[in-house]
Amino acid sequence: MSELTTAHFLFLSAALFIIGMVGVLTRRNVLIIFMCVELMLNAVNVTFIGFAWEQNALTGQIFALFVIAVAAAEAVIGLGIVMALSRRLDTVDIDEVRQLRE
Amino acid sequence: MPVQLVAPDWSLLVPPLVVLGTILVLLAADLVLPRERQAGLTVVALLGLAVSLVSLLAIDWTAGASTFGGMYRADSFSLFVSLVALVAGILSILVSAGYVESGIEPGGMALAEYLSLLLFSVLGTMLVGAAGDLLMIFLGIEMSSLAVYALTAFARRRLTSIEGALKYFLLGAFATAIFLYGIAWVYGLTGSIMLDDIAGALRDIVQGDAPVEASLLLALLLLAVGLGFKVAAVPFHMWTPDAYQGAPTPVSAYMSVVPKVAGFAAMARVLVQGLSPLSEQWLLLIAILAFITMVYGNVVAIAQRDVKRMLGYSSIGHTGYMLAGLAAFTSLQPGDRSVGSMLFYLFAYAFMNIGAFGVVAWLQERGQGVDLEDFQGLAARSPLAAIAMTIFMLSLMGMPPLIGFYAKYYVILALIEAGLLWLAVAIVIMSAVSAFFYLRVVAVMYFNEPAGAWQPARTPLLGAGLAVMALGNLALGLFSGPVLDLAQRWALAFA
Repeated sequence: MSELTTAHFLFLSAALFIIGMVGVLTRRNVLIIFMCVELMLNAVNVTFIGFAWEQNALTGQIFALFVIAVAAAEAVIGLGIVMALSRRLDTVDIDEVRQLRE
Repeated sequence: MPVQLVAPDWSLLVPPLVVLGTILVLLAADLVLPRERQAGLTVVALLGLAVSLVSLLAIDWTAGASTFGGMYRADSFSLFVSLVALVAGILSILVSAGYVESGIEPGGMALAEYLSLLLFSVLGTMLVGAAGDLLMIFLGIEMSSLAVYALTAFARRRLTSIEGALKYFLLGAFATAIFLYGIAWVYGLTGSIMLDDIAGALRDIVQGDAPVEASLLLALLLLAVGLGFKVAAVPFHMWTPDAYQGAPTPVSAYMSVVPKVAGFAAMARVLVQGLSPLSEQWLLLIAILAFITMVYGNVVAIAQRDVKRMLGYSSIGHTGYMLAGLAAFTSLQPGDRSVGSMLFYLFAYAFMNIGAFGVVAWLQERGQGVDLEDFQGLAARSPLAAIAMTIFMLSLMGMPPLIGFYAKYYVILALIEAGLLWLAVAIVIMSAVSAFFYLRVVAVMYFNEPAGAWQPARTPLLGAGLAVMALGNLALGLFSGPVLDLAQRWALAFA
């Protein structure tokens, strides 16, 4: 059994962040893209908690709480836009939303 | 450990609190007043912003006081950012005055919600300017951009509006996550989120000739990419033309300025105040971003027929000029012009670009579209509107003695002092390229015959706003000294 170190937090969060980032760049379903963004935000939270744990200070944990709150607000706006979209177009595929062209 | 609670100094927060109070009044009025009796709320919002603007005078900004444990700073930098945000807010509300109530957007737009979202965004931008730590910067940026995502989708029965908002939102949220990851790493490596403490810790870390740790460079890159999205720097600009074209025209006017102010204020706070010991690393990055941004924006704008989309690409070009101002940073000494020239550019940009979008809104209210063809013969139909649009186009192009010329001039001056001659030359060349698409609008207005039906409309507030901006372009250009002096006090705030 090895001891828990900050590196464990950082590797976990980096993995989550990269998974989320690849998801945003490759997926075409708006909802999945949005979930991947949430994954990235939670990876950030893990990083904050890991560093706060290492430094034995609360700043990082408080920051993570704020990130959670803002992510909730962001979800409200984002899902509102997706709702408006699916009412108009009956799809959530980003490739089918392409009216704006020069 | 005993916790000491210090009462915050609320007097420093009067300007943002006035804006917040106005928002609460607007939201309450929305509950009480029926939709058709809300027209007076535009005046309420304008008054609120004006009172907040006047209350800026009541604070001693030179003292550099801070409160909430240093999270909120009332210094000369936050003064100028608040000034630009409030002025741009007032101009945007003047531009949206008739548009929101008119039937241009299918299903109409709810005025009270529109105004309160716009004011929330102004408030967020003011908070970014006054931020003393990374948490405030994050919250301010989010407050300013979340409101604008909603505003972009405000014409919710028009698919293009939703499409623009969707792209803006997805890329904006993506950028936020990247920016936050950078903050987390800076926090981990320096042990603080206070900007001054970060600068102090970094000075110890990067001492000597030892190469900078890779993790620190990664954090820097993440922050730069995140903020690059917010200000629409190439290659992080993909959302910009779609969002500008899709949004209701007054919203395009607003979001071309105020969220950009928030982004650039955050860049200055984070890079110049917090990460200045790493300036050797980020200066080159910003200079390259500035170059490709101004080239791309100006070249692609040439091919556009839709005026809103053209202005979207042109705004990317102007982002490049502003980034160039930041790239001229050399030191935190009071003689350094870099950040001041960027701030002055943002101020000038509010008058030029909101005005240009304002004329587009003015045409839309008279039953015209937003294509270049819709500007045909505007000079014959309404000489005043044509003169206003000509002033805005020439100012955006950088024609003396308009404010746009002085904005570019000060950036170029800062670049020459910093020894970045190549970037200064690039600005001059790109201004010449931009003449092509700005003057085309002028030519269409004056040399083509009017075509299509013309609906008469009364738009007193919009007309007044356009007059103020047209005169502002001239007057603030000729007498740019006081504003520039105010902008150049930024170094006092960061030292």
